[in-house]
Amino acid sequence: MIAFTDIVGMDLAKQALMLLAVDSELGGVVIPSAVGSGKSTIARAFAGILPEGTPFVELPLNVTEDRLIGGVDLEATLATGVRVVQHGVLSKAHGGVLYVDSISLLDSSAVSHIMDAISRGEVLVEREGLSEVHPAKFMLVGTYDPTDGEVRMGLLDRIGIIVPFTAQNDYRARKKIVNMVLGKRDAEDTRDELNMLTGLIQAAKEQLPHVSITNEQLQALIQTAISLGVEGNRVDIFTVRAALASAALAQRSDVEEEDMKLAIKLVLIPRATRMPEREAASDDMPPQEEPPPEDETESEDEESPADTPDADAEEEQEETPDMIEELMMDAIEMELPDNILNISLASKKKTTTGSRGEALNNRRGRFVRAQPGEMRTNKVALIPTLISAAPWQETRRRDKKMAGRAKTALLITKDDVKIKRFRDKSGTLFIFMVDASGSMALNRMRQAKGAVASLLQNAYVHRDQVALISFRGKQAQVLLPPSQSVDRAKRELDVLPTGGGTPLASALYLGWETAKQARTKGISQIMFVLITDGRGNIGLQATFDPNAEKAPKEELEKEIEALSLSIQADGVAAIVIDTQMNYLSRGEAPKLAQKLGGRYFYLPNAKAEQIVEAALSF
Amino acid sequence: MILKVHRLKVSTKRSIMTQTETAAKKSAAKKTVAEKVKADATVTTTPEPKKAVKSAAKKKSGLAFPFTAIVGQEEMKLSLILNIIDPRIGGVLVMGHRGTGKSTTVRALAEVLPFIERVEGDTYNRTLEQYLEAEDGKKGSKPLDPRSIKTEQIPVPVVDLPLGATEDRVCGTIDIEQALTSGVKAFEPGLLAQANRGFLYIDEVNLLDDHLVDVLLDVAASGKNVVEREGISIRHPARFVLVGSGNPEEGELRPQLLDRFGLHARIITILDIAKRVEIVKRRREFDDDPDAFMKKYNREQQKLQKKIQQAKDLLPEVSMTDSVLTDIARLCMNLGIDGHRGELTITRTAFAHAAFRGEKVVTMKHVQEIAGLCLRHRLRKDPLETLDAGEKIDRELAKVLGEAEAV
Repeated sequence: MIAFTDIVGMDLAKQALMLLAVDSELGGVVIPSAVGSGKSTIARAFAGILPEGTPFVELPLNVTEDRLIGGVDLEATLATGVRVVQHGVLSKAHGGVLYVDSISLLDSSAVSHIMDAISRGEVLVEREGLSEVHPAKFMLVGTYDPTDGEVRMGLLDRIGIIVPFTAQNDYRARKKIVNMVLGKRDAEDTRDELNMLTGLIQAAKEQLPHVSITNEQLQALIQTAISLGVEGNRVDIFTVRAALASAALAQRSDVEEEDMKLAIKLVLIPRATRMPEREAASDDMPPQEEPPPEDETESEDEESPADTPDADAEEEQEETPDMIEELMMDAIEMELPDNILNISLASKKKTTTGSRGEALNNRRGRFVRAQPGEMRTNKVALIPTLISAAPWQETRRRDKKMAGRAKTALLITKDDVKIKRFRDKSGTLFIFMVDASGSMALNRMRQAKGAVASLLQNAYVHRDQVALISFRGKQAQVLLPPSQSVDRAKRELDVLPTGGGTPLASALYLGWETAKQARTKGISQIMFVLITDGRGNIGLQATFDPNAEKAPKEELEKEIEALSLSIQADGVAAIVIDTQMNYLSRGEAPKLAQKLGGRYFYLPNAKAEQIVEAALSF
Repeated sequence: MILKVHRLKVSTKRSIMTQTETAAKKSAAKKTVAEKVKADATVTTTPEPKKAVKSAAKKKSGLAFPFTAIVGQEEMKLSLILNIIDPRIGGVLVMGHRGTGKSTTVRALAEVLPFIERVEGDTYNRTLEQYLEAEDGKKGSKPLDPRSIKTEQIPVPVVDLPLGATEDRVCGTIDIEQALTSGVKAFEPGLLAQANRGFLYIDEVNLLDDHLVDVLLDVAASGKNVVEREGISIRHPARFVLVGSGNPEEGELRPQLLDRFGLHARIITILDIAKRVEIVKRRREFDDDPDAFMKKYNREQQKLQKKIQQAKDLLPEVSMTDSVLTDIARLCMNLGIDGHRGELTITRTAFAHAAFRGEKVVTMKHVQEIAGLCLRHRLRKDPLETLDAGEKIDRELAKVLGEAEAV
C-alpha cells in the first residue's frame, strides 16, 4: 500500500484529510476527482496517519439496509435460539473512518441513513423486534468521479470539507511520479516520514483547544459564506473548525489569514451558489445580492487582523468587509479556475434528484428490505422469514405437540412470512426542450411551464420526473434539472429569458447528456418533449466557441441528424410539438420528429394540458 | 433530554421492580401457553423489569442542545410550543433549508416539556381513567381497585422514529425473548405505544417509506394501534403529536400525510451576521463543555417550561368572540381551503397562542400571527403561482381585517 507521505500531488486533498485527522468533528472529507487519479489510494492511505487501531470501514455500494444499520444475526440466532444482534456498518465505523468510494452512486436510502447517523452520532435500530442504539460517530471519507453525477446535497451539508475539483489531477503524470519516488526510497524513509506526520497531527490535536479565533475573524468567515450564497448555518461551524484545525497544525494559538483562506477554500467555495462581485462580474451572472455592507470610509490596508486582540470589537467590525473581500478573492483565485461556479458542487446540484426517482416495489429493482406481506402475490424473502420463525420453534412445538403434530418439522406460520421489497428507480423522465428564440417564445415558454407543472402535480403517483431545457441565443441551457419537486420547479421557472437565435443542436446535445446522466441513476425511460418549429440556425460549433463562423445550413442539418440518430439509438423516445401557425411552418418540425424516430404533433395555441396529454399518450 | 425521559422511566421501573417482580412471575407462571390469550385483550399489563434494564443500556444519547439557546427560527419554535400547549392542534411539519437547526430544535424540545400523569410504569402512558377503562372488567380478571394503582409524573415523551425503522418496531410485536423463556406470548410495545400522549418525531419525513406512512396515517386517524400476531390481537391507544422535518428539495411529502399536520413552519438560512456569529459561539461553547452550557441556560429553560405550563393551565379559560370566528371562516373561504380542518386548526392554534401570551381573549392579532402556520400547506398548489403562500395568506388576511374594520 502506498503511504500517505508518498503520494505526490493532490495537495488540497491531503491538507483536507490532515485537518480531519486533527479535528474529527469536521465530519469528513469528500474528494471529487477523475477516474484513476488515485483518490481511493489517498483515502486508504489516510488510515495510516490515524492513531493505531482506528477503525477504517469501507462501505460497499450495494449495501442493504440490514447491513448498514444492523439487525439480527441469523446464524447465531439459529444456533442459540436467542436473538443475537449484529452491528451494522455504520456502527462498526464508530470512532474511525467510514470510507465510501463512488459516493455519488450510493443508493439514496443508504445516503439517508448515513445522514441520519451523522446528525445523531448514533444509529437507532428499530427493526425486526430490536430496539437498540449503537454509537456511530465516524468521519466520512468519500471519493467520486463527478462525471458519474453529484453527491446529494443533504449529505454534503453534513460533511465539513469538500475538496474543490480541479482538472490538475492528471493521473498518468502522477503515477509516474509515484513510481519514480517509490523506486528511489526505501521503506525506512517512508516510515520516518509517516511517524513525523502522525506526530505532527498528534501535536496539533493537543494544540487545538488552545487555538482562539477573534470576533472579527468569525464575522469575516460568516460574511464570506453569505456572500457566496452558501445554504444553511451548519457550514459556519465547519468553516470555523477548519480554520482552527489549520492553525493547530501550524502549532499556533491564533487563527491567521492563511487558516481562514484554507477554510474558505475547503469548506465554503465548494458550496458557493453564486459568484461574489469584485471586478466586473462575469457576463451572464445576474447580480444577486449586495456583498458586504460597505459603509466604511477609511481603509487600513494590509493590517494582519489576526494580530489584533479581541478587544474593541466595534472598531474592528468596520474593518471586516475589506478584509473579507481580500481574503475571499485570494482564496478563490489561488490555483482555482476563473469561474468558481465551475468547481462549486452547490451550483451543480441541479443534477441530483434525491430519492424521488426511486420507488420501493415488490417486483423488480434492487432488493433492499424484507417486510411482512402477502405470500402469494410477492416474492418471499427466505432468510428473513427464517429469522422471524427461528425463535418461535420451541414455543410452537409445544403448542403443536398438544395438537398431536410431528416435532421435527420447521414450523412456519403466515406471520413469519417476509416478502422482498425492491428499490427501483421507476417512472419516466420527461425532458422538455423549449425553443425560446424568436417572437413566439414567450407563448411557448408559458405552455411548457404549464405542462411541466401539470406533470409534476402527478409526479408523486407516477414517480415521473421532469427536466426543462430552453434554447435561445448561442446555446441551450438546463433550466430545471431532472426533478420531482414542485417547489423547485416553481423557483427555477420563474424567470425565463427569451429571444435570439435557435441553437437546436445544442439543445439536443444537452438533452442527450441529461438523459445519459439520468441513465446512470437508473431512470430507464426517457422522453424528449420538443416544443419548437424545428428551425435551428445555430450550430454546435457556435455553442462552444462564440467567435466561430456561422455554420452553413447543410452542416447544421447534418449535425442535427447525427445527434438525432445517436439519441434514437440510445432508446430515448421523443415527440415534437409545433405550436407555430401553419403558414409560417416549412415542415422542419415533422422532419425533426422523423429523425428522432418520434411523433409530431401540431398544436397551435396548445394548452398545457394538451401537451401533457401528447407526452403521456406516446 | 430523551436521555432524561429514559432515565426517569428506568428509575421508576426499577423502583417498582421489587413490588411487581413476584407478581409478574406468578402471573407468568399462570398464563401457560395452553391458556389462549383472548382476542382483543391487552396482554402486557405488568411492567417488565428485564426490559427496563435493557433500555437503560441502550438509550445513551448525548446531551441535547438547550431549546432556549437556539438563535432565531422563531416560527418553528412557536409552532412547537403551541403544540405542547394544545396537542389537538395536530403537530407541526418543519420544512426548510439544510443545516438550519431543524432537528436540533425538535430534539431540544423535550427539555421544556411539562409533566403528565400516568399509571406507574404503564408502557402506553395511560391516565388512571384510561387504564381502568381498558383493564378493568376483562374477562377472568378481578375488578381493579383504583386505590391500589399508583400513578407517577413523567415528562411528555418524545419518541424518535428513524427512517430505517421496520413495521414491527413501530407498531409493536410479540416479545420473543419472553415467549422463549417463559412461553408467554406478551406484547412488546413499539414506538407508537411509547409516543402515546407525547410527541412522535420523524426527521426527513418526506423520505419515509410508503408503507410506514400508511401505518402512520391509519393510526393518526383512529388514535389507536391494532396489532395481530401469533394468534393474539392487541389494541392500544396511540395519540401523539406528529412532528416532521425535512428539506423540500429532497422530495415532496405525500399529500395525505401533509394534510395530517396541523401547522407548517418554514425555516430558512439566517442571513444576519450577528445572529450567525452567536450561533457559532454558542455551538462551540456547548461542544466544549455541554454541562456548563446546560447550567448556563438552566434558568431560562425552567422559565419557559413554567410559562408553557401556565399557558396550558390558562387554556380552558381562553375565549373567542363570534366576530373573530367569522373572520377566520371568511379567511379560509377566500383562500379556497377545502374542508374544515383549516378553520379548526386556526381556532385551536389562536387559543393556544393567546394562552401562551397570558391573554384570555383571542383577538384577530393572535390569528394574524399564526394564520400562515396553519394555512400555508392547505392552499391549493398552483405551480404557476408566483406569489408565495405566506404572502397570499397575508393579503387575504389584510382584506378580511380591512372588511372587519370597515363594518
